[in-house]
Amino acid sequence: MSSQTSKYASSYRPIDLLAVAAAREVRDGDVVFAGTGLPMLAIMLAQKTHAPEAVCIYEAGSMDGRPIDLPTSVGDARCAHQASITAGLTETLYGQLHSGYVDLAFLGGAEIDKYGNVNTTVLGDYNAPTKRLTGSGGNPDINALARRTVFIMVQEKRRFKEAVDYISSPGWRIKKWPGGEFVHKREVYGKFFYGGVEAVITNMAVFRFDKEGIMYLDTVHPGFTVEDVQANCGFDLNVGRVRGETAPPTEREMELLYQVIDPEGIFLL
Amino acid sequence: MGKPKVISVKEAAGLIKDGDFISFSGFTIWRRPMAMVYELVRQQKKNLHLLEVNGGTHSEILVGAGCIRIWESCWSGHELYGKLGQMVAARHVSGEMIIEDYSHGHMVARLLAGAYGLPFFPTAEAMGTDLLNPEYDSLARAGLRDGSNPKIPVKKYDIARDPFFGKGELLLMPAANPDWAIVYASQVGDEGTVRVNVQTYADAELIKAADQVIVLAEEVVPESYLRRDPEKNIAAGYAIDYLVELPWGAHPTGSQGYYDVDADFIRSSYQASKSQASFDRWADQWIFGVKDHNDYLEKLGITHLESLRANTALGYSTRIKRGTR
Repeated sequence: MSSQTSKYASSYRPIDLLAVAAAREVRDGDVVFAGTGLPMLAIMLAQKTHAPEAVCIYEAGSMDGRPIDLPTSVGDARCAHQASITAGLTETLYGQLHSGYVDLAFLGGAEIDKYGNVNTTVLGDYNAPTKRLTGSGGNPDINALARRTVFIMVQEKRRFKEAVDYISSPGWRIKKWPGGEFVHKREVYGKFFYGGVEAVITNMAVFRFDKEGIMYLDTVHPGFTVEDVQANCGFDLNVGRVRGETAPPTEREMELLYQVIDPEGIFLL
Repeated sequence: MGKPKVISVKEAAGLIKDGDFISFSGFTIWRRPMAMVYELVRQQKKNLHLLEVNGGTHSEILVGAGCIRIWESCWSGHELYGKLGQMVAARHVSGEMIIEDYSHGHMVARLLAGAYGLPFFPTAEAMGTDLLNPEYDSLARAGLRDGSNPKIPVKKYDIARDPFFGKGELLLMPAANPDWAIVYASQVGDEGTVRVNVQTYADAELIKAADQVIVLAEEVVPESYLRRDPEKNIAAGYAIDYLVELPWGAHPTGSQGYYDVDADFIRSSYQASKSQASFDRWADQWIFGVKDHNDYLEKLGITHLESLRANTALGYSTRIKRGTR
């Protein structure tokens, strides 16, 4: 990038880095299932940079839309602008997802464990919770059957837990019913096993998963240390594979985010 | 069968009896039959069993007003305008409402089975999760899976092995066949043909799954107009029992091609839902404090409504301020 006085380079915010790090997970040609918010910024940024042939499915029923105004929700008519198909939930969740078209999905959650199991349902005992969250939505369906999923989360000790209070969304070691014993995802999904959680991106770091499906620290965002991340993780984190620092947003990425993708300041306030 | 009967929204809500099993069209904060939701609250319905692919502002209002006894779904919130469905959440914590959690894909599977006259629909979605934990089957815990209510399946789900291709285990999701589908649609023909704009959500499935169907139409149009492009329609008139014509009937949720989501209105209802007392004040102001839908629209005001009106070329409003810039 240019060495001239830059508008953004030294003043990016955590959300900008999250969007950029998420965008970098998109491979050119991916069929991406995206939810409201940061995932929309990430897929659009990827399409405008390294992945022009990536396409986006929004859960409410639009396939490969080409929005000219940023949608505020996956149900928004803006998602469907110049889409190749509009349909409904049967098409997105079965015609696209269950049939195996989806390469990548961005998801979120309130709690995560070292196997990538995510809770979006309750804190405490489900039958007498201390707090009810939004509920699973399509998170577990998408996480079940997309080839790769990326979670975008807040890094806090109470959110990165040894065991989540409720498994809303399946990671790498999950419960086999009716007994509920923990086994590898492959054993539950059989021939429906297409992949699983690839990365977790937080405000402090990027995490990935080893062959056994256990989370490890991959890169640490500028301004944070491995110790910061460990201090904000509730389980014993593998820090032996750290590659270095997460690359910060470039001037070009920041211009695209603020001037082209979200000029109205809907998510990038 | 035959053409739908044209009635008022007040009459439509009057058809719903306490304890009935209902479901709504739409997706989160889009195309919800809000005028009917408000009228159900005004008529103080009780003990309703609500099953839906996902919740939203409409279900929060019904739950907050104490109309719902059983809620089967997967998510409740107001999207960008209020992350959490606080009324559902409060009742999960207090134990005042029976909540049966499925995934979004499970709910769609249940409506698909219901729509196609099948007892169940197989799915590999959301396996390995606590959604399937038998200890968390709330309807069973409430003693309601004893077969005495034909609309409540005797099991939350079952597991079966693929008998044909050896693909392993799958979930079988029981059909959902509500007593009533309460649907908001963009355009309905004078003989009942239904069209919705842009994404169809699970509206067509719901119409087929329900025993009786009430449609609130943004506008009623000549049948011949809808029959010029039959591929754009989602249901035939003989599938619709009652028809209500009600412009702005989905407000504050959005209706593609007609109006955008009223973000400020939803935000204020979300803020109000942080406590029962403030929700009750909100309901007094916007539901009990207006006599009917027209009175509600008068209170909103034409300038406000016009700001939401969709651009006819784009299908959404280009005049609302959506962000901070």
